[in-house]
Amino acid sequence: MNTLVLDQVSKHFGGVVAADKVSMKIPPGRITGLIGPNGAGKSTIVNLITGMMSLTAGTVRLGDRDLTTTPPHEISRAGLARTFQNIRLFKEAPAIDNVMGGFHRHEDSSLLASILALPSARAETRRIRAQAGELLERFNMTRYASFPAGGLAYGHQRRVEFMRALASQPTVLLLDEPVAGMNDVEANELGVIFKQLAADGMAVLLIEHNMRFVTRLCEHVYVLDGGRLIAEGEPKKVIADPAVVAAYLGT
Amino acid sequence: MLQLFIAYQPLIDLFLLHSGLALAQYLVLRAGVFSIANAGLTAIGAYLAAGLTLKAGLHPALAMMLGAMAGMLVSMLLSLPLARLRGVYQAIATLAFVQVVLSLNVYAEGLTGGAMGMNGIPKVVSTWTLLIALACTLYIVWAINQTRLGRAFDAIRQDETVATSLGTSVRYYQTVAFALSGGIAGFYGGLEAFHSYSIEPSRFGFEFVVAILSYVVLGGRRSIWGPLVGTAVMLALPELARPLAEYRTLVYGLIMVLVMGYLPRGVYDTFVEFLYRRRIARMDRAAMASSAGGSP
Repeated sequence: MNTLVLDQVSKHFGGVVAADKVSMKIPPGRITGLIGPNGAGKSTIVNLITGMMSLTAGTVRLGDRDLTTTPPHEISRAGLARTFQNIRLFKEAPAIDNVMGGFHRHEDSSLLASILALPSARAETRRIRAQAGELLERFNMTRYASFPAGGLAYGHQRRVEFMRALASQPTVLLLDEPVAGMNDVEANELGVIFKQLAADGMAVLLIEHNMRFVTRLCEHVYVLDGGRLIAEGEPKKVIADPAVVAAYLGT
Repeated sequence: MLQLFIAYQPLIDLFLLHSGLALAQYLVLRAGVFSIANAGLTAIGAYLAAGLTLKAGLHPALAMMLGAMAGMLVSMLLSLPLARLRGVYQAIATLAFVQVVLSLNVYAEGLTGGAMGMNGIPKVVSTWTLLIALACTLYIVWAINQTRLGRAFDAIRQDETVATSLGTSVRYYQTVAFALSGGIAGFYGGLEAFHSYSIEPSRFGFEFVVAILSYVVLGGRRSIWGPLVGTAVMLALPELARPLAEYRTLVYGLIMVLVMGYLPRGVYDTFVEFLYRRRIARMDRAAMASSAGGSP
């Protein structure tokens, strides 16, 4: 089992400090929370972990593997999957094609087989389509399979994006505000699924605004403000921390 | 019937040749690369194939194969610096490449015959050869759509960041797209050389770039039939309205402006999209009826 470790991670844009010596541990088997007011640098952390941005200083490791300077597509292949704060789907493509995209990491037909559509490559396509179909069914989305993803209702788009991340069967799942804009019932439905994934051994990082949601799901929470960690620990204690209260409500 | 075929044979040949070139152009666009280098690659294929046969006495089939390989190789080399550019900057850089090839063909008189070009190339490519070549090209383009290559191309074209976050190496897949497209473009250069007795530098210039691009823009960039429909329409227009033939480039320009303004997806893809939306609407209504009250 591999723990994702951030060690003294910093990111500077010129004089602006987006992340300053942030150290975190995201171990398998539990949901780790990351909260903080708007502009605290939460999404920056996800972009740094996934290699979308380069680090100014510090290291990111998954188990024994150093991911600090690994190119983003290889980080994904190492078993990290993410969702985006503003849903990013292949809008013109049907929902099922979006989910199939998530299986890319597990495609291994040869280049020649793909160019000539040899039986091995076609079998792979069929297999992935079937697996994507199963995922859609598990999330009760089968009837939208051939609908263009961009035209789906907001909650359904979130679900498609989540399924796409899940399709890559990641060891670490980074969720950037996955229930933003959902009501409590919808959020709780997803919360149950997140808990199940963690229980099955996945390392989950949950970035969230909704305090109640975080308190209920996470065992361990990090609080970020102005690019710095200002508190960490058990959710209930963290929320009572004067520094956290000050960051959220102002002094 | 046979007489009709003979009367229109030059046009049919042109359609088959240009369809293949349009498919080569479609392949790179499909993978999210805005390269218009194919005119240069076609020129390289044409000159190499013709030169090897005329000057070194190589068998035309072998010469064409080498022309295709040269197109592929140069295209892959070209993809190295182009990987750093995006969108319109790729278009500008590749247009410069087309111009460089054109100039080299003009100035290297000893090898290429300069502005006069190469003449007396044996005509060994018949309508049947072209038909078989296009069938093979169509098969490869179709095959790519059925496999992981097509999925990766689509992902990169639609959202590079997401594709990367799913583990897709943009550089790798775009290099593959360049290689395939360049190989096809080079091969069709050879076909063109062995079909038309002579080649000259100006044939593979800016007008050629615009013509090939217009086929894909007019027809559509998603389905493999789009480029073929585009080629057919563009070639038929001057034939249907003879007086227009003189103003060919003007008509091309006008059509491009109109299509980009009103049918940005191209004629064929817009039509497919229309059918698709109708089917979805029907399915939606059916779903609503079966689960009365369920929200879409």
